[in-house]
Amino acid sequence: VSLHGGPPGPDDFVVRDRTDPAPGPGNTAVVVLACTAAALGAIGFAISLFGTASPAVLGTSLAVAFAALALAVRRSFAAVYPRIEALEHRKAPEGRSDRLAAVQPITRRTLVMRLLAGTGALVLLALLVPVRALAVRRAGVAEDTAWRAGTRLVDDDDQPIRADAVPTGGLSRAWPQGVARQELAAVILIRLEDAVAEPPTNLDWVVNGSLIAYSKVCTHAGCPVALFQAERGQLFCPCHQASFDARRGATPTFGPASRPLPQLPLGVDADGYLVALGDFTQPVGPPVG
Amino acid sequence: MTPLMARLFDALDERVHIAAPLRRGANKVFPRHWSFLLGEVAMFTFGILVVTGIFLTAFYRPSIEPVLYTGSADLFAGRQLPAAYESVVRLSHDVPGGLFIRRVHRVAATVFIMAISLHLLRIILTGAFRKPREPNYHLGLVLVFLAVASGYSGHNLPFDLLAGTSLRILYSFLQSIPWVGAAVSQWTFGGEFPTGDLIPRLYVVHVLVLPALLAGGIGMHLYLVVKQTHTQFRVPGVDARTHVAGEPMWPYQFATSTVLTLVVAALLAVAAALVPWADVDLHGPYLIAAATNASQPDWFLFWIEGALRLYPGWEWRLLGTVFSGLFVVGVVMPLVVGALLFAYPALERRVVGGRDDAYHHEVQHPLAVPFRLGFVVALVTFFAILTTAAGHDVIARLLHAPIESVTLALRIAVLVLPPLAGFGAAAYARWWRRRYR
Repeated sequence: VSLHGGPPGPDDFVVRDRTDPAPGPGNTAVVVLACTAAALGAIGFAISLFGTASPAVLGTSLAVAFAALALAVRRSFAAVYPRIEALEHRKAPEGRSDRLAAVQPITRRTLVMRLLAGTGALVLLALLVPVRALAVRRAGVAEDTAWRAGTRLVDDDDQPIRADAVPTGGLSRAWPQGVARQELAAVILIRLEDAVAEPPTNLDWVVNGSLIAYSKVCTHAGCPVALFQAERGQLFCPCHQASFDARRGATPTFGPASRPLPQLPLGVDADGYLVALGDFTQPVGPPVG
Repeated sequence: MTPLMARLFDALDERVHIAAPLRRGANKVFPRHWSFLLGEVAMFTFGILVVTGIFLTAFYRPSIEPVLYTGSADLFAGRQLPAAYESVVRLSHDVPGGLFIRRVHRVAATVFIMAISLHLLRIILTGAFRKPREPNYHLGLVLVFLAVASGYSGHNLPFDLLAGTSLRILYSFLQSIPWVGAAVSQWTFGGEFPTGDLIPRLYVVHVLVLPALLAGGIGMHLYLVVKQTHTQFRVPGVDARTHVAGEPMWPYQFATSTVLTLVVAALLAVAAALVPWADVDLHGPYLIAAATNASQPDWFLFWIEGALRLYPGWEWRLLGTVFSGLFVVGVVMPLVVGALLFAYPALERRVVGGRDDAYHHEVQHPLAVPFRLGFVVALVTFFAILTTAAGHDVIARLLHAPIESVTLALRIAVLVLPPLAGFGAAAYARWWRRRYR
């Protein structure tokens, strides 16, 4: 076996410079110490997996094992092998190579070959049609949410909301009653303090002069509009800091949103609970191309 | 070699001639420069990602069906959680070493993408992409894309609050594509966000499609490096066109790679010990219409997040469709940056080289070609400003400045500073060339 036993031949490399190792007297001791530390680290890692297995202990013991092993590799190679600076002939491909098959056609029956290529392409295209299955289950479109005239608003615990019991500042989330949570139907219910709604807010959909429900899906990138700053009358999206003027139909005031948050037609039913008067009249969520 | 191993080796060699290629490998000469090791770090972290990833798949459940949590974390006792999130919490709390391995996987992904990015910077700055290595450069760019896609898909698998928010934004990006947005988003997600198909699809992409493509691509990348040979910096007395100077693979290049691998492994272990990467308890499960203030993607997507924050609320209605800021930032901008990088070798040849058609095996000092340095500095500045902008609310808070002013300043900066920095760097390189040549 001469894996790397023989001297380098012309197929290998030419040695330009060679430095034989001159390990100091302490080198073996360092290797032994490093190997001991590495073994202890590995054993510590294995044992701690049977105990608490806390990442801190696992990581520290493994790091000790790896780092000590690195030192051991470095020192032992430096003690055993000469450093070689070598020169290898570069055999990178240059210019053009011999190309194409040795056998050439005897006639120029181009029509036959084109027919063959075309049919092959057709067969491959047919194999792509199953991808169409992705399109089969296309649920609703963005304009269509679960809100209908008379649908009550409920909170996160599915409790209907009395118009006279909305807490100061409003509710961060409200949903259509009796429908599974539909993202596009989520609204943020706000109660204006010391301010009155102005157009372009639809004033017919403002309850008790202060309650307004806007779509909770930001018209910028679809994050939930989470924050209502009552003193500034601003609605605020935490993802990209889009802000909307809650008093003026949630028109964008600053940041990246280009459209107002759609306003939910809001009213009160005979029992004093908040209801929708219909679905949103504007598309909900970010612009669809 | 022990006698038994030697006999086995000889038996194999007599049948398939294993010694010859091994000898070629052992005696292959590697140029000696630290920057040539960045790619090795990337390759090694990919290996760690595969191994730790296989461990994680043994416990992960790709589903958002609500299940009752019965594990040991008090925070979630008796709660219904999405199955994916539940399995990740269980893996973190009830599988010995589970949390540690999740953290290693996460930090290795970060180091993987960092190493790839630095490797790419090295390749561009030193001109290693020039003829005959353009195909490998282009393959490398594809690998960058695959790595980022892997990072993104993996980040979202736990279906925690950040993951759900990040997927919602991807859904919005797809929706924003003119004319076909509604169809593309619903085909991709299997209906209106969030759907039950989403996580299983993401799962197969993350654990099968992307790793297979990455492994194949990395293999091809290395094959081309061997076939086309390494570039090298100038070595006195060596003609780089005919010879490679450096150290043979065996023993010292092997030792260097091993030490490097072990040191990176040790650093990953320390990072996983100290930093709560991937501790998804901190965010909670994804709930429809819930969000938190610190919603951020992974760092390597900050530039897109930052651009989302800076782009004004402009949309154009044209030809029966809408061109929104989302489309410009989430689709057009990454494509333009990718195309610029892809076209760069041809661009440089046209602008600088006078249609230079020679073979280049010697790499250059980063200051050697002013146009190239300017291009890289402008691009890096662009990335840096957008990455900063991803935290513009934090900056506003730290500076006690209104968010509006910070946004405006960053909008101006992202338009003005990249060209300024690029021209400045090119001018410096020109001065340096006159001074030292």
